[in-house]
Amino acid sequence: MQLKVKIRRYDPERPGKDRPYWQEFAVEAEPGDRLLDVLNQVKWYHDPTLAFRRSCAHGVCGSDAMLINGRNRLACKTLVRDLGDRITVEPIRGLKVEKDLIVDMEPFFDSYRAVMPYFVNDEPPPAGERLQSIEERQQFDAGTKCILCAACTTSCPIFWVNGNYLGPAAIVQAHRFIFDSRDRAAATRLAVLNQNVGVWRCRTAYNCTEACPRGIPVTQLIEEVKRAVMFQNA
Amino acid sequence: MYRAREGQWAFALHRISGLLILLYLLIHVVSISLVLFGANAFTVLHDIYGFWLFRVGLIAVTGGVLYHGFNGLRVAIMDFTGWGTAVQRQLWYGVLAISLIGLLITAWVVVPRILAGH
Repeated sequence: MQLKVKIRRYDPERPGKDRPYWQEFAVEAEPGDRLLDVLNQVKWYHDPTLAFRRSCAHGVCGSDAMLINGRNRLACKTLVRDLGDRITVEPIRGLKVEKDLIVDMEPFFDSYRAVMPYFVNDEPPPAGERLQSIEERQQFDAGTKCILCAACTTSCPIFWVNGNYLGPAAIVQAHRFIFDSRDRAAATRLAVLNQNVGVWRCRTAYNCTEACPRGIPVTQLIEEVKRAVMFQNA
Repeated sequence: MYRAREGQWAFALHRISGLLILLYLLIHVVSISLVLFGANAFTVLHDIYGFWLFRVGLIAVTGGVLYHGFNGLRVAIMDFTGWGTAVQRQLWYGVLAISLIGLLITAWVVVPRILAGH
């Protein structure tokens, strides 16, 4: 099928291209092709200056989150047949655009680091493994699926206007450890999330849940963290 | 415009209705307090509120208060229960239905009075 692909371009180092503008490409693609294939075709055969991140191309590395036809998705998990023959592609919102579809992910990872996304337990290691029941493991299962693509955080209307908000992805990562029965730093993480840039910024718009390419019920996890902060019961 | 689903519009409407109610309350407080400057000042301003546009605005305020109140309950259900987030969409349609019915009943009572010049 014949596609018209409109891409939001920006290149701060090239005079005349240093303000965001739209560029349209006519591309031939199969309905079963992924948007990433279409972007590769544009880059390889139409305009090699087009810049975008991609790595595994199989929905695991989380590199190619973009605003595709008005919604955050991974280019490698989006089929052309689900988009129609007119496609618009923009960089994800709320983070500074560096070039074309590439944004500065550093503030996103700062928020990630702020919630201590690692296992903390200073107790002497037991003789065997630190065992968990199926129910205990189930409690934080959804959060383990996060690939840090930023589709959720950059779909959040609160994050668009307040870049200091830790954002859904960081809260999901915090949830993964707060509700881990083996972890001992829940109180510290809850204190971080109880700040005014923490969970209370969430206004339950559900954009994050809709945007997550891994099907994580993000808003539900944020609500669980809110209750954990409120009742200190993690 | 981000092509989001119900949750984003529920949030946006909540903000807009909240601001409308705040504006109404501020006007209300200011106009009531005009009595400090005598009955005349009070009456002059309140006569303006008889203009049809203000009365149609009051119908909108009724709809806004209903929406803001009931959507607030929806938010509380999502915040305090484990099941609220799973049915947030259905709850929102319920909130919209209640607000719309309230708005229509108010319009049904008020519009004929405006048209009759009461």
